[in-house]
Amino acid sequence: MKTLLRFNFLKNRVLIFSVLGFHAFVALLAPYLRLLSTDSQDSAALLQGPSLNHWLGTDSLGRDVFSRLLHGGRPSLVIAFAATAISCLIGIVIGSLAALAGGWIDEALSRVIDFMLALPTLILLLLISSFFGQDPLILSVALGLMYASPIARVARSATQTLLARDFIRVARLQGGSRISILFGEVLPNVWRVMFTEVAMQFTWILLAFSSLSFLGLGASPPTPEWGLMIAESRSYMTLNPLLVIAPIMMLASLVLAIQALVDHE
Amino acid sequence: MRRVVFSLATFIALAVVSFVGVDALPGDGCTALLGRFGTNAKIDACRQENNLNDSVVVRIKDWSGDLVRGDLGYSIKRDEQVSKIIIPRLRNTAVMAAVAALIAFPSAIVVGLLLGRYPRKRISKAINQFSVIAMTLPEFVIATVLWLVLSIWIPIFPGVSVMPSNASLLQLLPNVWLPALTLAVVIFAHSMRTMRASVTNVQNMPFVESARLRGTNERKMISRHIVPAALPPVVNVVALDGAWLLTGTFVTEAAFNFQGLGRLAIDAISDRDTALILPIILFGLAVYLVSSILADSLVRVFDPRLRSSNR
Repeated sequence: MKTLLRFNFLKNRVLIFSVLGFHAFVALLAPYLRLLSTDSQDSAALLQGPSLNHWLGTDSLGRDVFSRLLHGGRPSLVIAFAATAISCLIGIVIGSLAALAGGWIDEALSRVIDFMLALPTLILLLLISSFFGQDPLILSVALGLMYASPIARVARSATQTLLARDFIRVARLQGGSRISILFGEVLPNVWRVMFTEVAMQFTWILLAFSSLSFLGLGASPPTPEWGLMIAESRSYMTLNPLLVIAPIMMLASLVLAIQALVDHE
Repeated sequence: MRRVVFSLATFIALAVVSFVGVDALPGDGCTALLGRFGTNAKIDACRQENNLNDSVVVRIKDWSGDLVRGDLGYSIKRDEQVSKIIIPRLRNTAVMAAVAALIAFPSAIVVGLLLGRYPRKRISKAINQFSVIAMTLPEFVIATVLWLVLSIWIPIFPGVSVMPSNASLLQLLPNVWLPALTLAVVIFAHSMRTMRASVTNVQNMPFVESARLRGTNERKMISRHIVPAALPPVVNVVALDGAWLLTGTFVTEAAFNFQGLGRLAIDAISDRDTALILPIILFGLAVYLVSSILADSLVRVFDPRLRSSNR
């Protein structure tokens, strides 16, 4: 117990990278691992404990929990990657453009960013997914747009500090246009500063989508998704607690590993 | 004063934007009521009866007039006055928020102070790790873990609440604990870290050094010098977290089927009851604006440097 308390989980490099590697491996290769089907229901084997056939037992419809678990990160990861890409693209371009242009353009863009930051994100997501259907494409675009504003704010201040540096002034004196400076000088340098912000953003989007699934408005059944699996199995916790513990461990280890990686940088 | 006027203007602007936004969504109260069995004729008749065919401008005028008179509107889908639906739910959420705040804030301030004062202790590091974990995990995970541990493995609290939305306070109380604990874990981590950072910051200031050189003892040092100087940023976070307790509890309430405002919002959104969604959004906006004004003025009370110098 003492060594356990002394061991700093969030600062152990080997642990962080092996957890991240495990998740990458599972998420990429789950469909090729010759697992049992995620959808086939076995009415003769409902809510069973772990066995040789079903390593983590079965859920209330007799589906293999282990197989669903390994597939369960994919929907949120795909959406989180897509939405993060969209929010980075929009956020970084708008943020650095505002800083680069200055004047009334900066003022106007900053007001828009402030307004977007004040929006109640979760209510909007619930509205969108309820009224426009639980379409992964619509949800990624919505998430990407909503999470663009924090990125834009950080990109704007990063660019502003960058603008005072000599190489930008050289580029200006050489007669580079604003657009060429933006793509040639600013964006490649802002990107490095933005890594931490983007990684945090990634986990927020991932968790937002998982929470939506938990509420029944993200991934739709029978898709295996951790948030949805937790929601579906909560009534059967007394019979087989592994049904919720397993997806919680997967989700928690992934998010905490990303968080630890960011803190480490 | 200028701040209040500005916030009021923001509120009105956002209210109009929300009305138009919610109005633009496909579907209205009539399609929500009649569902997929509604024929076009029936839906038309229902819209006629409820004045839904008027232009947006006319309806905003009617709606805002009603709002000023204290009439929140009428839910066609639920066939009831919106205020009658909302008020009992609001009370439930308020009770839950109060319990969570009473658990979390005092302990967060004490623990944050101790952690800032004694950062090298092993227990401090352990609590710190716990707070990072609590801040990273989503509420539905915390809720499910608490339920599993405190209701199934060690049966102290009831799990899913089974209560009518207008339950009496006595009926409400046993069901409040688990959702309130979930929220408390989240805000504890948040405000405790702010307190710790603030204490660490204050400790290195010259006036603390000078107090130490005068030979001030530990107890007096903490109560006279460190705590009063460290509180302002924490007060700010407490006010904003308080607002979140009233408006950001959808997931937690849904996780325990707690009949509060957040649960109602999700229900209203799933069955597209736009008349009910709008007042809930407005309530959230109002709480957010009021709490940020409150946060700023409270900070002024606690931090004399920010007061205007006319005294």
